[in-house]
Amino acid sequence: MSSNPIIEIRELTKFYKNSDEPAVNAISLDIFANEIFGLLGPNGAGKTTTISILCGLFPATKGRVTIDGIDSHTGLEKIKQIIGIVPQDIALYPTLTGRENLAFFGNMYGLYGSELRGKINHYLSEFGLEKHANKTVSKYSGGMKRRVNLIAGLLHDPKILFLDEPTVGIDVQSRVVILEYLKAINSKGVTIIYTSHYMEEAENLCTRVAIIDRGNIIAKGNPKDLLEGHPEFKNLENIFLHLTGKDMRD
Amino acid sequence: MKKYLSVCRKEMLLLLRDKAGLSMLFIMPVALIVISSLMQEFGWNSLSKDPSVQVLFVDNDRDSLGIKIKNGFIGSGSFKVIDSLANSPLTAITAREAVKKGDYLIAIVVPEAATRTMRSNVRLSVAKTLAGFGIGDPVLLNGIVFRDSVNVTIYFDPTVKTAFKNALISSVRENYYKIQTDWVFKTFNEEITLQMPMYKPPREAFNEVLRFSEEFPTYREVELIPNTTQHNVPAWTIFAMFFIVIPLTQSLIQEREGGSLFRLLTMPVSYMTLLMGKVGVYLVVCVVQTAAMLLAGVVLLPLFGLPMLVLGNDLPALLLMTLVVAMAAVGYGLMIGTIAKTHQQAAAFGSISVIILAAMGGLWVPIYLMPPFMKTFSLISPLNWAITGYYSIFVRGGSLWQIAPQALKLFLFFISTVLVTGIFHKYKHPLNI
Repeated sequence: MSSNPIIEIRELTKFYKNSDEPAVNAISLDIFANEIFGLLGPNGAGKTTTISILCGLFPATKGRVTIDGIDSHTGLEKIKQIIGIVPQDIALYPTLTGRENLAFFGNMYGLYGSELRGKINHYLSEFGLEKHANKTVSKYSGGMKRRVNLIAGLLHDPKILFLDEPTVGIDVQSRVVILEYLKAINSKGVTIIYTSHYMEEAENLCTRVAIIDRGNIIAKGNPKDLLEGHPEFKNLENIFLHLTGKDMRD
Repeated sequence: MKKYLSVCRKEMLLLLRDKAGLSMLFIMPVALIVISSLMQEFGWNSLSKDPSVQVLFVDNDRDSLGIKIKNGFIGSGSFKVIDSLANSPLTAITAREAVKKGDYLIAIVVPEAATRTMRSNVRLSVAKTLAGFGIGDPVLLNGIVFRDSVNVTIYFDPTVKTAFKNALISSVRENYYKIQTDWVFKTFNEEITLQMPMYKPPREAFNEVLRFSEEFPTYREVELIPNTTQHNVPAWTIFAMFFIVIPLTQSLIQEREGGSLFRLLTMPVSYMTLLMGKVGVYLVVCVVQTAAMLLAGVVLLPLFGLPMLVLGNDLPALLLMTLVVAMAAVGYGLMIGTIAKTHQQAAAFGSISVIILAAMGGLWVPIYLMPPFMKTFSLISPLNWAITGYYSIFVRGGSLWQIAPQALKLFLFFISTVLVTGIFHKYKHPLNI
């Protein structure tokens, strides 16, 4: 892990229209190059909003974001070239084949021809999908869709990869393949920002985590350090429940 | 440009795999053209070719008036006259019952002594006129009154359309006036001959003095008689083109709701490129759709015995018109798909608004038949501009110059829809956040 932050977030605030409560409330955070950073929190905590702002999907109401030294206000197009995103929803076209989906998203990143074909073939093979590449996505299982969803964010070899709940609702095998692959690309220098509800998964995967609730960061640090700071709890999930409460969230 | 072409390719693939959408875009409109043209051509228009409408005829007169009215119906070739049911001669009561049950659409009852009454009235009328010339006794004639007019009763099934009913009544009236005029003329001759033996009546029968000839002035050298094909093909083509609003809005909303747009907006591609990719593909679809519909008019309709579509003299005018109508239709779909929040909203508003605009625009009912306030509304329907432009080409033989006003209006409509879409996105996020 580098000591230079690759993402600097300062006083980031987001109010949605017709809402008095901020979805994200003046959060400040540094994420370092080559980290696997976990953004954890209950439903509606502000995780997806934070990631959406970092990806340039919509602007913050207040605050500043710098990614790889580029200010998001002025250099959004440059930022989009170096980041990859794996959304929470299966962001694919169901009536296109896996290969067609990947080719289209690759094109949007400026990849064409043999370079793109090579990358698609590589990733399809890596994730065990080469046999199904020419089937329409609507015929894929949940796990297969998740894997293609992940590949679509990796095709252009992003420097930073954002993953919003990448392992929701899939079989154990697909989850293991995805998590192993994330570790592998992280070891090659890709910074990963990851949101999840699975505390155990985050505890094993992340180098650092931040627990966010009601738009505020309520804890952050290395999972081990967090556990040492709260010796009364056995695991990250217990700390999470202690900090965020047991009330059901919408 | 490569990204734009890639968006177009993706849109084309999505469209080609949507079988229901494709059938809505191509098969259904062609079916509509064929069915509506067949209904019109072999409906009211075909009465003269095939007397398929049966008329119950009750002749209580049993004299020349009854016979002449009956022969008038038979001679028109438009009706099949029936005067008995189940081997029993029809009466006013049985004819009325048959219409009431819905077995027959029309029954005509000529009353008893109709000929006698009419002859008597005609003779009296002639005598009174001649008395004015000193022929006959005016004092005696003034004391004689006319008998009540002959009342021919026509029973109509309640489902009979007003236009059909009016056409039939006009036909009966026309027939009746011919008979009356003929009798008046003959009676005059008979009376004058009786009173003035030296008078020699003309040998010729009474001749029609007023005739009507139909002409359709157009820009083309050879006159083109308008027919159902020339009217229907452009009307349904425009309707189908505007129905592109459904697959286009679905494509926009599906991309938004499915999450693909979320991903795309984080990629180095502009939202305008994504939108214009859709516009490009759907424009091509609209043009291909028009070509298919026109081809159906030229090739398919004649196979059903319908007149062949005659394309105008001016291919550039036809191409320009098709392009601007396609632009207007796609622009409208883009605007609705952007503003609508859900599939249901877009589908309901899109389809109903197109039907309203089509009705307002005179696609189904000609504008000249509309009430004044509707005529004003029709002028703001882009479908009206489209049909006016196409009629200029198809039935008036117009060229580029004649369609220019409509083409300009449709182009400006397209620009307005794109502007509304742009302005909407300035204030509302593409993901409706």
